[in-house]
Amino acid sequence: MNESKRPSHWRSLRALEAGDALRDETRAEFPEGADQAPAALSRRRFLQLMGASVALAGMSGCRWPRETIVPYAHRAPGQIPGETTSFATAMELGGVAQGVLATSFDGRPIKVDGNPGIISTGGAAGPMLQASVLELYDPHRSKSVLKAGEASSWQAFELFAEEHFAALKASGGEGLSILSESSSSPSLTMQRKAFLAEFPAAQWYSYEALSRENISAGLEVAYGTRLRPRFDLEKCQVIVSLDDDFLSDHPDALSLNRAFARGRRAESGHMNRLYMLEPGFSITGGMADQRLPIKASQVQAFLLDLIDAVGGGAAHGEWAHHPFFEALRRDLLAHRGKAVVTAGARQSIEVHALVALLNQELGAPGETLHYSEEKLDPSGAASIKRLSAEMSRGRVKTLLMLGGNPAYDAPVDLGFADKLGTLESSIHLSLHANETSALCKWQLPRSHYLESWGDALTWDGTYCTTQPLIEALYGGKTSQELLSLLIGEGRNGYDIARAALAERFPSSDFEKFWRKTLHAGLVEGHRSTLPAPPPMAVGLRHRLAPPSKDEGLELVFAGDPKVHDGRFAGNSWLQELPDPVSKLTWDNTAQMNPATAEKLGVKDGELVKLSVQGQDLTLPALILPGLAPETVLVNLGYGRKIAGPVGEDVGFDTYVLRASAHMGFAQGLSVSKAGGKHTLAMTQDHWLIDAVGFNERARRVPSLTREGNLAEYKKDPHFATSHEHHPPLISLWDEHVYEGHRWGMSIDLNSCTGCSACSVACQAENNISVVGKEEVARGREMSWIRLDRYFSGDPEDPGMIQQPVACSHCELAPCEGVCPVGATAHSDEGLNDMAYNRCIGTRYCANNCPFKVRRFNWFDYNKEIGETESLVFNPDVTVRGRGVMEKCSYCVQRIEGAKITAKNEGRPLVDGDVTPACAQTCPADAIVFGDLNDKESRVWKMHENARSYSLLGELNLKSRTAYMARVKNPNPELVEDSVEHGHHG
Amino acid sequence: MANDRSGSEFQFPKWTNAIRPLATAALLGGAVYTVVLIAYGLSPQTTNVGYAPEQPVPYSHAVHVSELGLECVYCHSTVEVAAQASLPPTQTCMNCHNSVFPDKESLAPVLVSYETGLPIEWLRVHDLPDFVFFNHSAHLTAGVSCVSCHGRVDQMDVVAQIESLSMKWCLDCHRDPDPHLRPRDKVANLAWVPEGDARELGATLRAQNGIQPSTSCSICHR
Repeated sequence: MNESKRPSHWRSLRALEAGDALRDETRAEFPEGADQAPAALSRRRFLQLMGASVALAGMSGCRWPRETIVPYAHRAPGQIPGETTSFATAMELGGVAQGVLATSFDGRPIKVDGNPGIISTGGAAGPMLQASVLELYDPHRSKSVLKAGEASSWQAFELFAEEHFAALKASGGEGLSILSESSSSPSLTMQRKAFLAEFPAAQWYSYEALSRENISAGLEVAYGTRLRPRFDLEKCQVIVSLDDDFLSDHPDALSLNRAFARGRRAESGHMNRLYMLEPGFSITGGMADQRLPIKASQVQAFLLDLIDAVGGGAAHGEWAHHPFFEALRRDLLAHRGKAVVTAGARQSIEVHALVALLNQELGAPGETLHYSEEKLDPSGAASIKRLSAEMSRGRVKTLLMLGGNPAYDAPVDLGFADKLGTLESSIHLSLHANETSALCKWQLPRSHYLESWGDALTWDGTYCTTQPLIEALYGGKTSQELLSLLIGEGRNGYDIARAALAERFPSSDFEKFWRKTLHAGLVEGHRSTLPAPPPMAVGLRHRLAPPSKDEGLELVFAGDPKVHDGRFAGNSWLQELPDPVSKLTWDNTAQMNPATAEKLGVKDGELVKLSVQGQDLTLPALILPGLAPETVLVNLGYGRKIAGPVGEDVGFDTYVLRASAHMGFAQGLSVSKAGGKHTLAMTQDHWLIDAVGFNERARRVPSLTREGNLAEYKKDPHFATSHEHHPPLISLWDEHVYEGHRWGMSIDLNSCTGCSACSVACQAENNISVVGKEEVARGREMSWIRLDRYFSGDPEDPGMIQQPVACSHCELAPCEGVCPVGATAHSDEGLNDMAYNRCIGTRYCANNCPFKVRRFNWFDYNKEIGETESLVFNPDVTVRGRGVMEKCSYCVQRIEGAKITAKNEGRPLVDGDVTPACAQTCPADAIVFGDLNDKESRVWKMHENARSYSLLGELNLKSRTAYMARVKNPNPELVEDSVEHGHHG
Repeated sequence: MANDRSGSEFQFPKWTNAIRPLATAALLGGAVYTVVLIAYGLSPQTTNVGYAPEQPVPYSHAVHVSELGLECVYCHSTVEVAAQASLPPTQTCMNCHNSVFPDKESLAPVLVSYETGLPIEWLRVHDLPDFVFFNHSAHLTAGVSCVSCHGRVDQMDVVAQIESLSMKWCLDCHRDPDPHLRPRDKVANLAWVPEGDARELGATLRAQNGIQPSTSCSICHR
């Protein structure tokens, strides 16, 4: 590569500038002080993170521990001790059900995956779903009823409720308000009806901090009725996303991922084209073929110009002459009926109404876009604002809150927390004791979805049932049960869920139908789709509020891809997961692009003070390329004050800047330097080696992730490998011949978005430790599969490509030869095995691994883990101790399990019998695993694909994991000069 | 010159005379230590051979299997399909003991368990370390009998460990399984002995059933 030229791909801004600081940091593989014990303070913090239990197991004097075997007194029919069983259930998030297949081992749930019965997702699960099983065992969950902070009991609450609600009933529920999380649960709707029948004057409100209310409200403006848009991305040729991170921040992201990936298989010759306009840099933006960083406030102006231009008129706005605009306009016109436009939830009601208009112009409804009735209650700022106003007027005497945490996440201008504290009577049903419960008279423990009977609807309206896998650990109740209790009915969740199903689907043989539904976890064939949308309002184009003017700096609020609205802040798996784009763990920041930072004179990690409309907050800056100019983006959900030791004081509470008038983004931001720095634990620049390695890395980067565009692919399908130059690869040894299975993996970079679900799935499956922020900053994170994010091109407007990297199980593995004790050795099926008990911790193997995928247990991360938390461990995988190296095993426990099952059944192992946790959960189906000796297997076909290449193939490692180069489909009108991929090596 | 240097010439201090006897003692001691260590490591006490703890209920396999003719899988019912052979639920005991010796004193814990639903706490005899993953069903499918690892349990009044269960012992069989293979239907017949040469029969069965025990680490350690 020409030295004077900028490399085509780079790891991070720091690496691009090849800063000396980074160079110094990379002298050793493990940073300075990596072997030092955490300092006293962080040690204590670390123990808290691990959920340390007070009592350690009694030291036994005898060398041979006497173990007991405790068989059941009465074993249920079909139950096999020590074997796992799966149950279909569902988790509800923001009023939308995510179908779940939960795995239980001897009565305790240990793993959560997507329900494969939900065809649109094919068994995929996102990071939050994967991590939800840890939430069940969180030792800091709300454990008992508290009255004004003092320990109490359900009996005491029932006594109170009987008296209190009898009095309320007399007045018809006057002064009673209910604030609920968004929920689509039919049984909750049923209970709510029964409840409101008893208390007709009671007011019911819904609130979600990350509400999608603007979308249905916008469609109401356009069509006169609240609607929900559903996209058929497989049919789309052109997708235009206006600030919509639909591959990650969307209730239906799993199916959208799948459909999007299917619509762009290079082999088929047809690829959709994604245009992304956004103020931040999302993973959807990373997948875009054409991307335009645009200020959030300017989306509407752009949209109006587009509507004018597509409608045949002339666009007058400032965007009309932008080359991007012109190319997009022509592309849309050429693909009427095969295009769709979507806008993100943080955009205004006007934008969503206009998007509906544009989609109508493009002939999308009925083709690429379907509408269904939006049944969720309005849950935006307006709703909680009304409640807050009622509270100010003293009209709320009793407030019942079903979940949620409004004291933390309500718009700051409402002063909700203050008002809540003054109420006569307040009841909060919550999974965790949080900021809101602390202000309530009664705190009630809520049961986790893995402990509950219930139901909920998926995004497409499919009825899902929820069933418990374990008895409620802390005697929690569901919202339905609480409502039932309050009207003196006292039904349990089971009866309520059955009644709701019977009401919705009357059946002559209900018992059979109930069992069938429970088994599948859903009622098949009952999606809700409107055949055609109602007629559109006329004159929409000119009736709406005009777009806002460009007023300098803007603040954009984004939901967090890990902790969502803050509810998962206590989940250490998610906290330690690197953000898919910034690669930041355990924190949130003020993101801005290099130009903005330069203008403000701010450097990476420096504290800045953001002020917007009278509110201010100091937090660290993070300089990230690709953001819109004059834009500062903050993630919500951090800086929790009461969230258990894991979530408390992690990051900064950005809700203090968010007012009801600007829930999505705020104009009129001012930024000043606050002085001081903040340590950010980011993982992208980890796992570099010494200075020589640094240079070599920089040289190699463009060849690690390979991408080209569709035209190039069509010209040369082997573009990924045809530019490889290296001497003939000769082995020093006679190579082993694998006669049985030859396990291998293929990862398609064309589908992988970098959502990181694989990383959490791996953590759950393989008992991978959490180490905490200080340790991550030292380069001690333990994840077996990491997502490498690379930027490409111009730092002001870069492209992004994500690459999952785990152990490649090289046939000629460099790690094996250097192990002095033979702790890592090759299996006869080509797996690079780790025998933990042999490992003495020299770490030579990690030094010698070119992919840097080996992780070392610097401390006994598992020794002090609490009894409850240890229930989440997968019993099929060894829990590692201090001083032991570990890494991806290709889920060898699953391989051996599948082999034994096949043998017991007297049949050969077939393709698809073995699926590692990462491949199972991948929403885009980017990871395929199988036997390379089986020439019919999917993985073999993918290895043989023209796009397939080996990472560092020139080292002759014979990696079993191959990558498939990414093919982008940019608009030919916008391709300047040919992308300089492939001219490496 | 030599005289000049004599004053500063290095001389071993007196105490170094003790090095020779000390080194000899250390060498001899080391040899003894090594021998003792190896002997200790291999001794049945260390490997736990012969371990036969007293169980909460004096259940006799000899009586139930040899005299009454119960099949192994009547109680260890999951052994053919699962990793664990599993101890029977109390329910299984009570299938017979509802009417047979229901009042026997030694059976009291069984009755208590049956009524309260609380388990009987049996003591584990064959205890593999937690980092070893053994699967009963895989071995049965391959035609390895219970007797190969557990001995003649059908003749034991108190179950005792008879094999070392060491890694070497596992590997011996994984490397050369022939003497231990038998037809599938004879797996639970502890008294069965092949008519001809066991090794020859084993070799035939191994070829027939495609049995290739692996010695890779991940077969047992995951």
